[in-house]
Amino acid sequence: MGKSFNTIQFHADRCDGCGDCMTACAQAKAGTDDLAQSRIRIVPAGGGVYELALCRQCGDPKCVMNCPSGALTKNAATGVIDWDWGKCVNCLLCTVGCAYAGIVFEAEVGHVTKCDTCDGDPACVKVCPHGALEYKTVAGIFNEYGDKEDLFAPGLSACQGCNSELLIRHTLRKVGPETVVAAPPGCIPGMGTVGYNGKTGCKVPIFHPLLTNTASMLAGLKKQYNRMGRDVTMLALAGDGGTADVGFQSLSGAAERNDQMLFVCVDNEGYMNTGMQASGATSFGSWTSTTPVGSAMKGKSTEAKNLPVVMMMHNCSYVATASTAFLEDYYAKLEKAIEASKHGMAYLHVYAPCPTGWRFSSAMTTQVCRMQVLSNFVTLWEFEPGRGLRFTHPVDRPRTIEEYLKLIGKYKHLEPEQVAHIRKSVHDKVAFLKRFAAADAAAAAG
Amino acid sequence: MRNSKYLIVGSSHAALEAAAAIRMQDPDGALAMVTRDTRLPYSPTILPYVVSGRSEPERILLRDEAWFADNAIGFVRGETLAAVDAAARTARFASGAEWRYEKLLLATGAAPAIPPVKGLAEVPFHVLRSMDDAVRLRDAIATARRAVVLGAGLIGMHAAENLAKAGAAVTVVEMQAQVLPGYFEPDAARMIERAFAAKGVTMEMGRTVTAAEPRGQGCAVILDDGRAIEADLLLVSTGVKPEMAYLAGGGVDTDRGILVDDRMRSSAPGIWAAGDVAQARGFYDGAKVVAGILPNAVEQGRIAGMDMAEDEGVKSFPGSVPLNTYTFFGQQAISVGLSAGGEGREVHETVGEGGKSYRRIVLEGDRLRGVSAINDFVDAGIMWQLVLRQVDLSAVKADFVARPLETGRMLMSRIWR
Amino acid sequence: MSKISNSSRVIVCDGNEAAALGVGLARPDVVAVYPITPQSSLVEYVSQMIADGRLQAELMNVEGEHSVMSALQGAALAGGRTYTATSGPGLAFMFEPYIRAPGLRLPMVASLVTRDLLTPQCVWGGQQDAMSVREAGWIQIYCETVQEVLDTIVMAYKIAEHHDVMLPVNVCHDGNYLSYGVSRVELPDQAEVDAFLGPRDVNWHVALDPARPMAVDPLTGGAGGGGPAMFVKYRKGLCNGMQNALRVISEVHAEWGERFGRFHAPLVEEYSLDGADYALVTIGSMTGAAKDAVDAAREAGEKVGLIKVKTFRPFPVEALSAAFAKVKAVGIVDRAVSFGWNSGPVYQESLGALYRTGRHIPAISFIGGLAGADITAEHFARIIETTAKAVTGAVPDGPVWVNENDQ
Ligand SMILES: Cc1cc2nc3c(=O)[nH]c(=O)nc-3n(C[C@H](O)[C@H](O)[C@H](O)COP(=O)(O)OP(=O)(O)OC[C@H]3O[C@@H](n4cnc5c(N)ncnc54)[C@H](O)[C@@H]3O)c2cc1C
Repeated sequence: MGKSFNTIQFHADRCDGCGDCMTACAQAKAGTDDLAQSRIRIVPAGGGVYELALCRQCGDPKCVMNCPSGALTKNAATGVIDWDWGKCVNCLLCTVGCAYAGIVFEAEVGHVTKCDTCDGDPACVKVCPHGALEYKTVAGIFNEYGDKEDLFAPGLSACQGCNSELLIRHTLRKVGPETVVAAPPGCIPGMGTVGYNGKTGCKVPIFHPLLTNTASMLAGLKKQYNRMGRDVTMLALAGDGGTADVGFQSLSGAAERNDQMLFVCVDNEGYMNTGMQASGATSFGSWTSTTPVGSAMKGKSTEAKNLPVVMMMHNCSYVATASTAFLEDYYAKLEKAIEASKHGMAYLHVYAPCPTGWRFSSAMTTQVCRMQVLSNFVTLWEFEPGRGLRFTHPVDRPRTIEEYLKLIGKYKHLEPEQVAHIRKSVHDKVAFLKRFAAADAAAAAG
Repeated sequence: MRNSKYLIVGSSHAALEAAAAIRMQDPDGALAMVTRDTRLPYSPTILPYVVSGRSEPERILLRDEAWFADNAIGFVRGETLAAVDAAARTARFASGAEWRYEKLLLATGAAPAIPPVKGLAEVPFHVLRSMDDAVRLRDAIATARRAVVLGAGLIGMHAAENLAKAGAAVTVVEMQAQVLPGYFEPDAARMIERAFAAKGVTMEMGRTVTAAEPRGQGCAVILDDGRAIEADLLLVSTGVKPEMAYLAGGGVDTDRGILVDDRMRSSAPGIWAAGDVAQARGFYDGAKVVAGILPNAVEQGRIAGMDMAEDEGVKSFPGSVPLNTYTFFGQQAISVGLSAGGEGREVHETVGEGGKSYRRIVLEGDRLRGVSAINDFVDAGIMWQLVLRQVDLSAVKADFVARPLETGRMLMSRIWR
Repeated sequence: MSKISNSSRVIVCDGNEAAALGVGLARPDVVAVYPITPQSSLVEYVSQMIADGRLQAELMNVEGEHSVMSALQGAALAGGRTYTATSGPGLAFMFEPYIRAPGLRLPMVASLVTRDLLTPQCVWGGQQDAMSVREAGWIQIYCETVQEVLDTIVMAYKIAEHHDVMLPVNVCHDGNYLSYGVSRVELPDQAEVDAFLGPRDVNWHVALDPARPMAVDPLTGGAGGGGPAMFVKYRKGLCNGMQNALRVISEVHAEWGERFGRFHAPLVEEYSLDGADYALVTIGSMTGAAKDAVDAAREAGEKVGLIKVKTFRPFPVEALSAAFAKVKAVGIVDRAVSFGWNSGPVYQESLGALYRTGRHIPAISFIGGLAGADITAEHFARIIETTAKAVTGAVPDGPVWVNENDQ
């Protein structure tokens, strides 16, 4: 498989045109405050909106193709388009190839210049006060795991836009083949992972536990493997029903015993595989087929169980929340969880907005995932015994809850009071977690 | 008889891009690249810099042996294509070697066009298309005292500059009334001419050469006004013509070049042509033209390669747009698209302080048709896209005319997002 | 008469401890426990054996019977020999994973210390729990004595793991009467039990093992296609395993007798049936009192015999109809109720075996021993009396509730 590279991402919606990035670039690259010498260029687009001109370090770089002197090359290791002053003849043909103004003639220095990502530590990103520039390093995941075998069969029949399939493929790739997978009834076996009529959807041993007994079956399996001296990872890929509702007793028992397993809850806030019924994880106000909207009822009238917090209170070896919009964060947590599962219960709660059941377009899943986090509707954190709770992606200036809710059809009916209720409960939930995090941080410092 | 699923003739921009495009889609199909040159691939565009001494012939190679090995491309040098049998799908080379192909790409570029000047064949003169030409010219410049350059196109102007810098007395003779016709309007051309004149180059514009005569080691050229200019170095750079003598046997439709459609397919099944040898759609009126510029060779090579490998992502050639970037005596000239005004066109020309810079924008309605500029940098790549995409500028027209650089960047950033 | 094997020891213990000792001899890999009356002392004994290192097994103290059965299924799928025990409501709570073990063909062994089912709220003996799951696909073997409890636990592993069977086994012993009833027990030698059982053989056919990757229990069935036929194949296979068990249970009991000198009737025991005009049919620990009553009646000249059902699942149709063929009337004593038939379940099922004999002999359903009630020799004397009348056609209308008038 090819190699993937890191890149600088621009979030136009966060840019206020302050120009700090350009100053930092000019300083870093030319030791001057002359913005003309910056290789990143923020251009006003009117109405307080800003656009960006910057080398994209293309995979298929026209500047390189147009260069007659061999001065431009795509660096196979870093992905950066390297420019060799010694070979450049200043013909400017590269600028003809580039449709991004990523390589331009700079009169001050008399030759073309372009972004070199400061050798992977871009000065512009560091100074951006609003996170409008982001250095995306997810490429590392692709490079590290892209060649690892996908242990699920191709052609699983998840709904279009489902992030659970994405999640489980990533997860099993990383967890590896010395694994037994438990997929209790729900979307994950529903998409064919356990197979049908004698055929399997997975290249490692996989089974259909009951909705109720995933954790205890895995606990028994692990006991026997330990007894035989074999190191086999127990991986649960469960929905929120099989985790928070009927599955909870066995999970709680296994957590109390600190049974060695990696339990991943894929939380799509309900029984989405069977027609979108409500579960204990369904959020307040949600339309579901069992919390419908009519003249007497306006969706779910109670809050979702905060399961990851409940699991934290079980003193597991590791507990974390995750989002597929933040895969690097997920991989880091998965790494810790796999390690923790060798000693006890590791619990990962992954949010899985469901285009089919929540009623949003299948193209929007990742955006909804991201907005969940950016609005603090869900928070990304991890808990390690002895270290306590730590936010891994704190959002100090969250988007309004309306921005999140409006993306999703199941909230379409919400009355202003319901929105206010959600706003307050999101606030309270974050405040609650912050108290833990602060106490833990203080404990660590003291 | 050797066999190859894909046979590419030529080893320059069009050929290399086609090969890369084929390999994206078909990593395994047998692919051979056969070329006349004996070197690893290089660009003709680099030759002026070899002549000036700025570039070493060994350091400007576009690909190395490893690239061919990594991409499983058989690279055969020193073979000149002599004939193509389109019906039998075979290609015969001057050495007698024969190849059978499934798909053939003709990317043989162009050769200098030698004008029918009386006596020219009898005098020593230079051309510049190959590395050998360049090395020969570089060595000759070192000792040249008086030089004449025929033709004020890119090749001639580059050479004239090099000759002037080397201390020779240089005369440039151009049949048309200005330098770089077709790319720059007279005002801009004047700026360039002035720069040359300031460096002591004699610019004979609107003059034809009627004859050439041997004079000692050198020669004299006779102008249409009767003057004779003596030279110990004569460079003929009056244009190029597609390299397609091997098609003399027929079977493939040609005009000024090899006629191709928007996927670079020639009239003969299994034969594609791209780059300087091809005559393809022009962007503005659709009439087929031989473009003769590097970016077009790249584009066409890619399209041909994708089409040959049946890559579903292939997009039709949008048509060639004149593109030019030219650096002279440390000054920059850029030209994208049309430069001439005319009916329905709106022209905005700006000349900078002291006549040191120049910019000309040609619009048609709310669409950009061309930009040319001297010492006033615009992003040629962005302008090219604005022209090709016929981006509606109505909302930003005034801004664009006033600040094409920023406005262009803003528009493209928005389009790409 | 049984002879004591040279290496056996004799001890005195109750049925729960005997079961625990049997478990110890069978050397399971994983034991999962959750206490419930009247099973609790059994799992306490096993836990203590593990704590003392006398049994080297993994002990899982889980949070309920549901997880008990689930964890053990996991262990079995990894190849472990497993054990647990439960009673009444515990079995009810376990039911969801419990009904899965037969379909997975997991050769598990679990004791059912039988208890009456709620409601009325009740913590005492009765076989309503076991009888309620008689269609779950588990083999059910009912013990009569403390010794038989111990012996049957060990035999159950050999039966379950037999390749022609591959089904889970419930070894049932009556709550209160056997669980707490103390008697003399011969304890076989470990090495001889090891030789009898052989190495564990649990997951050769179905496994969750990265070395042999497979999907365990993908969805099977559905409209059209080969799914339903595949489902039938599995169901039929389970039924065949059950039928094979009739033979295997007999063979294993015979081998046990050869090795240890105690020949327990594997399916059905015929007691004093020679020359009998009629017979009682019993199940479980009540049989002891019933045999005493039969002996006494014989002495008094009554031509009465006894037929004990030991194996209830698979139902021993052949053995039972062969016994029925020898008598003119039967009085069938149940310790549970078949609500739909207004009778006891053994009675109800015996009707099928009677049909096989081709003879229409009178049969009476007696229901006794519910909620820990004792079925005494006097009760049996009355049962014999009532059954004797049936020979001449006097059959009561509906079941006889044995303890109905106890004070
Ligand atoms: C001095 C000079 C300066 C230039 N400057 C610019 C510039 O500034 N900007 C710009 O856009 N363009 C410029 N060009 C034009 C540009 O170089 C060409 O457009 C481009 O190289 C065309 O690429 P091509 O692959 O079509 O053909 P070419 O580059 O001409 O390559 C043709 C290939 O075919 C091989 N070949 C030819 N005939 C045969 C045969 N019969 N058998 C086998 N092989 C054969 C040759 O060896 C060569 O490998 C310049 C050209 C020259 C000569």
